[in-house]
Amino acid sequence: MSNTQSTGVASKRAYVAAIAIILFFWQVAAWFLPDFLMPDVPVALQRLWEELNSGDFYEGLGNSMSRLGIGYGAALFFGIILGLVGGTLDLVRSTLKAAIIILQSIPSIAWVPLFLILMGFGNLPIIVVVAIGAFFPTALSVMNATESVEKVHISAARVMGASKMQMLKRVYFPAVTPELITGAQLAFGNAWRALISAEMIVGFSAGLGKSLAYSGEIADMTGVMTNILVIAILAAVIDQVILERIKHRLLRYQYL
Amino acid sequence: MHDRYFILEYIDIPAGYMKLQFNQVTKSFGDLNVIKQFDTTIGDGEIVALVGPSGCGKSTLLHMLAGLQQPTTGILTADGDSVAKPSPERTLVFQEHALYPWMTLLDNVALALEFQDKPRKTSLADAGKWLARVQLAGFEDYYPHQVSGGMRQRCALARAFIARPKVLLLDEPFGALDALTRMTLQSVLKDLIEEERPTVVLVTHDVDEALYLADRVMVFSQRPATVLKEVELGHIPKTHDLTVFADVRREVLNLLGIDTDEHEPKDSQGEMA
Repeated sequence: MSNTQSTGVASKRAYVAAIAIILFFWQVAAWFLPDFLMPDVPVALQRLWEELNSGDFYEGLGNSMSRLGIGYGAALFFGIILGLVGGTLDLVRSTLKAAIIILQSIPSIAWVPLFLILMGFGNLPIIVVVAIGAFFPTALSVMNATESVEKVHISAARVMGASKMQMLKRVYFPAVTPELITGAQLAFGNAWRALISAEMIVGFSAGLGKSLAYSGEIADMTGVMTNILVIAILAAVIDQVILERIKHRLLRYQYL
Repeated sequence: MHDRYFILEYIDIPAGYMKLQFNQVTKSFGDLNVIKQFDTTIGDGEIVALVGPSGCGKSTLLHMLAGLQQPTTGILTADGDSVAKPSPERTLVFQEHALYPWMTLLDNVALALEFQDKPRKTSLADAGKWLARVQLAGFEDYYPHQVSGGMRQRCALARAFIARPKVLLLDEPFGALDALTRMTLQSVLKDLIEEERPTVVLVTHDVDEALYLADRVMVFSQRPATVLKEVELGHIPKTHDLTVFADVRREVLNLLGIDTDEHEPKDSQGEMA
């Protein structure tokens, strides 16, 4: 694994190139379309700067981040538990897995009308929709990983006299961590999409999704593009910087 | 390489040993009959090697001794008590890959004590001493994938001995190693056994390994496993020069279907391998 450093630099370079290409196509579109349909990139960047200096932006950001944090956190917590339990229960595992695969195929946003009526107009339906989006990939990855924990690792722990709790903590959990992290990154993508779309539909109090939907309603295309920019940047930062760091930290032994 | 005085510093009293008894033990998996009527007594502190073709069921005997599997019929006892589940008193060394890849060598060894609810600090201190005893001082903070296969098995031996087992079960412990490393590791194991004096049951394909380490060798047939022959060697000092056992060695190899006859050069073409 001696080339981790160089691949890191290469992937950074690839990101810079990708961003340049995306912004280039945006700007080309802006040249051909009138300003009220597609703003220039610098105009959107200037609006972004103004937003960053206003209080409203941070209120919306805070609301969205706390919804994401609670929903995603709960999904990880319950997903890991169900995955570990399901992975060790031979009898129910295949049924459980089939159920997850069926439920997973329902777009999380499709649950909004149900939860809106069930839970009322507020934060809760958004959080639940985020959690649903993130729960299934987490549970599925942990379950698959638990199932394929090496038999010899389990036998060795039993021979050394491990209790059920010790076995879970010192053998199963570290053994499933690599796949859990992959699942958690997948889950983050789902949670993020669910969050923005639920906020756009539910429109309860300030938030990134609501701000985007509102800009669209008043035909403020600079606002629309600025919001999209914010959503893209945040997702990239959370996934590529925060989650990637956590991954390297938890799987340090693999990178040595 | 093995300075006995250096090693003796760490030794207090041997952990003691256990008597193991198979009483009419059989084992089948579904319709597959793996062990047919097995009876034997393995005495206190005896070192017994089980040799036989692969898939003959000798590993199953070992897993039953470890408590990982139960006999289908018959009784298996350790010091008179029926073996129902695993216990740190009867530890098992696996062929390979049994170290946890997410832990350093030190943590891997200490884990055997931590699983017995010993405090982490003393477990780590003890693990350091045991790593030194298998000549792994300086490699405490390495992860298993960073060291050689031979070093991994040294670490596995330290992890087995640190719990001071009364019975040491070895499932082809050096089967994945090259011949030279294997012989070095056999010497390390032999020294550890002499110092700790557990009862030892060794499953191996390697007839020389069995002759070098064991007091008694049991030769098994193809599945279902039955004992073709038992060879009593006695507990005598041995070296890797096994010429004194040449007759026994030839007999055991013949039982395992390996040709040891001297052929006339004419008709032996290609058969000597």
